[in-house]
Amino acid sequence: MSNYDMEDTQNSAPGALPPAQASKLAPRRGVDAQSTTKRLQTELMQLMTSSAPGISAFPSAADNLLRWAATIEGPDDTPYQGLTFKLSFEFPSNYPYAAPTVLFKTPIYHPNVDFSGRICLDILKDKWTAAYNIQTVLLSLQSLLGEPNNASPLNGEAAELWDKDPEEFKRKVLGRHRDVDDE
Amino acid sequence: MFQPQPTPYSPFSPYGLTAPMPDFPGFQPAGVVDNGGPTQFRDPIFSPVASNSINAGAPLTFNHNSNSHVAQRFKMDSNDIDAQEALARDFQPALEGPLVGEKRSSLAITEEYAKADPIYVTKTSALPQKYSHYRPILGDGNCGWRAAGFSYFETLIRLRNKAQLGEEIARMKSLDNLLKTAGGFAEWVFEDMAEEVTILLRELADLIPQSIPQAEQVLRDRFNDKAVSDSIVYYFRLLASSWMKANPASYEGFIQNGAGIVKYSQEWLEPPNQEIDHLGMTLLIDALLKPMGWAVEIVYLDRSDGSQANSHIFQQEDANGVPTNPAGPMIHLLYRPSHYDILYKDHGPPITIPQNMNIQVQRVNSLSHRHNIQNTPAMMGGDMSGMGDMSMFSCIPGFSLQPQPPSHHGFPSQYQQPLDQAFTPSSMSASMSASMSPTSPGASSATAPSNALPATFPAQPPPPSSLTPPTLTTPHPTFPPPTTQLPILTHLPAPHRPSLSSHTSLSGHPLSSELSSPSSASSFRPSKYEWEAAAEWEGPVVFQTSTFKNSHYNVAHYNNPNFQPEEWTPESEDPPTSGRKRSS
Repeated sequence: MSNYDMEDTQNSAPGALPPAQASKLAPRRGVDAQSTTKRLQTELMQLMTSSAPGISAFPSAADNLLRWAATIEGPDDTPYQGLTFKLSFEFPSNYPYAAPTVLFKTPIYHPNVDFSGRICLDILKDKWTAAYNIQTVLLSLQSLLGEPNNASPLNGEAAELWDKDPEEFKRKVLGRHRDVDDE
Repeated sequence: MFQPQPTPYSPFSPYGLTAPMPDFPGFQPAGVVDNGGPTQFRDPIFSPVASNSINAGAPLTFNHNSNSHVAQRFKMDSNDIDAQEALARDFQPALEGPLVGEKRSSLAITEEYAKADPIYVTKTSALPQKYSHYRPILGDGNCGWRAAGFSYFETLIRLRNKAQLGEEIARMKSLDNLLKTAGGFAEWVFEDMAEEVTILLRELADLIPQSIPQAEQVLRDRFNDKAVSDSIVYYFRLLASSWMKANPASYEGFIQNGAGIVKYSQEWLEPPNQEIDHLGMTLLIDALLKPMGWAVEIVYLDRSDGSQANSHIFQQEDANGVPTNPAGPMIHLLYRPSHYDILYKDHGPPITIPQNMNIQVQRVNSLSHRHNIQNTPAMMGGDMSGMGDMSMFSCIPGFSLQPQPPSHHGFPSQYQQPLDQAFTPSSMSASMSASMSPTSPGASSATAPSNALPATFPAQPPPPSSLTPPTLTTPHPTFPPPTTQLPILTHLPAPHRPSLSSHTSLSGHPLSSELSSPSSASSFRPSKYEWEAAAEWEGPVVFQTSTFKNSHYNVAHYNNPNFQPEEWTPESEDPPTSGRKRSS
């Protein structure tokens, strides 16, 4: 094990996690990870140099670019105004040719998010394209907060209340929201 | 994912008759490995057992209690059908194996469909005669892109032109600009993908002077390395998208539901694993292959009627629809509903490939001319029946009027169908002038019908219109000066030769021998292309008499989608002697 640590210059942290090691060592995945890593590094650079307001993202562990943590701020003039939401990104080894898995870590009351934080958003499913990136996903999610797709809700009650009783909707949003610790 | 469904209870049988390879003297397809006929089918992957096991789930339900279930076997209830359908739906056989498979005999396709729908059986039986090999592509949603992309590199290797590879590297570099400006894609999105394309081009450029097999091996390796392969494929997606955005007027109209270019691109081109649709393939060909002067033939293997799979050729054409580079390299793709593979014509001299394509494309061109002249048939028909005398047939040796006296009524209408009508006057007059009055051929058509050689105009006129480029380029090929036709008509098969070189070298002999004896019924058989064209473009023919209906001049059966003509094909030198011919 220690030999691999020595060889692996990318894993600078001593005692790096075994899963990351494994993925680096497997020859097949290694090739994938290389181009994926390069792409994610590029995206990280962009986010750091020219980040859009109200969103941020960063790799959650120094040694693994395939997991990120992100935050979005609730847009003004929506029930989510003033709230901050944490999300997790998990990138497949063939990213960007497959969408990242994105979850809300902060509990959220929203027609298109279920109680486990899973999101129903087409660009994270079949409409994903390699031209999207972390930033466009976050911006899309931000606008989803203000404009839910009530035609295909994961949370039917929320979809109903959104139209019928905005006051009650707002109460539910605030009632569900709570800050979560960083993992 | 499409897959033919072998019937679970159909008895195991060797595929004895599915793929009769032509073994005619004089036409020996060179270089065909699996030429030994159907029984020598060598590919173990496509053994009958394998194709049976495709549905391993379903047959089991029938076999567990053999005799008592015999009756049930033959009436599948709806549950079974549902199960079958579910099986077919969920079945994804191609998802195992390499992204780009090894080239193998296309008899494998025939084999694969041996128990499928009869239309498939017929069409796949005909396939290996035209396309000796095929290369399966994994059906992962990228097959069309990957097949075309692979063919692009493969054809570059085939041409063995290192300088051309250098030009391609430069072209790809310049296309980066198209992706940025027209496509609207940020450079960081596609730079890695473009780099993979360039790296591969460079590798091939270095290898081609040394070793072609090595270059081919590198190409296969890269295309089977998922990371590299997907990058290249995605680059082509972005290229197609950018090309469309740069030429919106040419493509907007083809987008369904008026979704618009940007939305179409986002929903159909850019999502990885989204199968290529027709417009996507058109875009990729337009952006990547047509600028090279290459053509792409897509063979559509589906359940549409016909004895052969339809095909369409995409290539650069000038304003008149004439291919600008008819002898250029051609890529063949096999399309089965929602799947693409690559086809190869490895037998015969390579020149036959563009030649064949030539014929088809120009047939289409000639069709487009027909719009202008469609009103002529009635006129001609009137003309002919107005002559009201059958003496015009009497000049044909061996032609007897007695058995079918009314046939002259049907005669004109019969040929209005297959023929480009406008040829009737000119060819008739020309043939008459050839036979009797060369000086005033045009005027003699009505006055001297008795000397015309009607036997010549079904077989004769179509070639100039549909096969020879010179007449096509003239805006009205329909009324050429008769005198120009004279020398041609005096030697019947001659006009085939200049334009059809290799095609005619096969066809010339049977045609000329048959044409020289007017009594031969086969001289009344233009190529199938004319018949098909006529069937597409003309309404059904009304035949006046039952006698004519039964005569061999009645070609109404060509309108029957189930009719399989006994036609001459380049692959079979056997003259299509038929019972109908002798019965006359």
